[in-house]
Amino acid sequence: MNSLTLKDLTADSVVATSHQLGEPAWLGERRRDAWELFAKSGPPEWRRSDLSGLVPDDLATFTSPGITLEWDQALAAQGVVFKPLQEALASHEALIQRYMDTGVAPLEHKFSAMRAALWRDGVLLYVPKGVAVESPLRVRYSLPDGVSATFPRTLVIVEANASVTLVEEFSSNDQPVSALAAPISELFAGPGSQLRFVSVQHWGAGVYHLGAQKLVLENDASAEWTSIALGGKLQHLDAETTLKGNGSSVNWLGATFANGTQQLLTAPWLRHVGHNAESFMQFKTVVNDTGYSVFDGMIKIEHESAATSTRLEEHALHLSPNARNDSIPGLKINTNSVLKGGHASTSGDVDDEQLFYMQARGISRADAKRMIVMGFFSPALDSIPLAGLREELELIIEGKI
Amino acid sequence: MSNDLEIRELQASIGDKPILKGVNLTVRAGSVHAVMGPNGSGKSTLANIVAGHPSYVVTGGEILYQGQNILELDADERSKLGLFLAFQYPVSVPGVSVANFLRTALNAHRAQEGQDPKKTSIPVAEFRKQLREGMKSLEMDEGFARRYLNEGFSGGEKKRLEILQMTLLKPTMAIMDETDSGLDIDALRIVAEGVNRLAGPNMGALVITHYQRLLTYIKPQFVSVMMEGRIVRDGGPELALELEEKGYDWLREELAGAA
Repeated sequence: MNSLTLKDLTADSVVATSHQLGEPAWLGERRRDAWELFAKSGPPEWRRSDLSGLVPDDLATFTSPGITLEWDQALAAQGVVFKPLQEALASHEALIQRYMDTGVAPLEHKFSAMRAALWRDGVLLYVPKGVAVESPLRVRYSLPDGVSATFPRTLVIVEANASVTLVEEFSSNDQPVSALAAPISELFAGPGSQLRFVSVQHWGAGVYHLGAQKLVLENDASAEWTSIALGGKLQHLDAETTLKGNGSSVNWLGATFANGTQQLLTAPWLRHVGHNAESFMQFKTVVNDTGYSVFDGMIKIEHESAATSTRLEEHALHLSPNARNDSIPGLKINTNSVLKGGHASTSGDVDDEQLFYMQARGISRADAKRMIVMGFFSPALDSIPLAGLREELELIIEGKI
Repeated sequence: MSNDLEIRELQASIGDKPILKGVNLTVRAGSVHAVMGPNGSGKSTLANIVAGHPSYVVTGGEILYQGQNILELDADERSKLGLFLAFQYPVSVPGVSVANFLRTALNAHRAQEGQDPKKTSIPVAEFRKQLREGMKSLEMDEGFARRYLNEGFSGGEKKRLEILQMTLLKPTMAIMDETDSGLDIDALRIVAEGVNRLAGPNMGALVITHYQRLLTYIKPQFVSVMMEGRIVRDGGPELALELEEKGYDWLREELAGAA
């Protein structure tokens, strides 16, 4: 495939490429609509994400795919589908058409339009009704040499009473100049299904990660979601769980570590629509050096919901006086029927008494600090189902302390 | 090099407030030495300074152990020299399991300058054995090792964990800071038995306590009394009994009379 820079693209070339790839006509049209919005709109007003270092025009994309899938292929015999989205369009077009873009709105702002117009690497995970998948599936997105912009897309459809674990990973080498990653993840958990989703961002230096993720839970669906943000130059991630179904539940854990000059923003939302739904969100943030992180979490309890139980927590640990964390937890309630609702936010330095206690047992100050940080992150780290990935992330975290 | 712990003319303060005003105390290697005193006399400050707490400013004097003035060492270096502080208020560390913490501490003690930590670290099976035996001797549940360090522990569990750490780290000089506080009689017995198993030729102990109660379980050879930042009297076990009987006021009056 030809190497392109973003400034070479036009609405016609975007659609032409779609046709060349053999995509269905409806997708070409969606890409055209999205491109037109992207081309004519200015960037959204993100007060806490500074995109001034990003020059999208010169970014090169589409040279080579940057996606790897790891799974037990024997699962295909049970009807599980796990394959690149482009391929899946040929075999599961109707399914994809039905779900795609119903989670993350494609035309919300310039960057959502950019993602919807340009996505290329992607994966479809489909788990049929009642199928329980034990071993985790893994999709890894990367930036191959010569590629400085990537638009990954994860689409997960879990049918009724099925269960599955997906690990989604974004990683690369450090980039010589700025690079852009603009992924979309849409996850649909059918009635009574169980979904475990671990999303890990550990891009190399220089990457701007402008992502959107959405999880929709039907009746009695339950999800465990772990969001880990460690890498890149800047992250602006909008993520939402919609508890659409009655009796649905989510347990959402986060771990963010910004050091150096990193700016990592996560805006996780819990949106309650169904009755008797339960949600718990706990994000942990560590900042070091002159790192900057933002937790812009929100619980929104819609008027049609009833008997909601929800709690949102963010806890921040400062390893340097020059590092900063903005915590902006919010709670919007549009109904009188809430069972339990609350949020909490704490922030502090590494506790001197903890350090002394550990040092008094012979553990060096540096090791004590490392253990305290790992312990702080343990809820999210313990939820990673792949031992190798967990060790890799621990090494990355150690390097940031 | 001497395993006596020698505290000479130690002066220390928190902020501008002097707490220790010239403490002289020698804890002989392999002996149990009780330091008693009323609240606020500086006993816990002394324990914390010996262990290397960074919040106190030492304004004078020295603490000698194994031929070094340990005031120049960080807390972890003092621990590796063989000193151990059983905390009055053990600190919780969420997310760090008891087992992980103990293994890390043991490996820190076994580490040698310039050697690959993989070579010096304790084999997993050996660690598990030591941990299991230690917990059994202190009547602790096996699940205890998986719990987070002091997180949600009862007073008795915290103190047992202190003794478990002492059991595994095998210090040559242990400082027990109000180890009896917050313990019921059963827990006190278990904790005291744990100390008694270790105290002896291989481990001296500086036992800091307000009350005589602990000393019926852990028998000291020497007793010193601390008041207002100084050691004001040295004696044998009979001194503890005298204090138990008469309180501290008579000593205070006697000292005032002598001055």
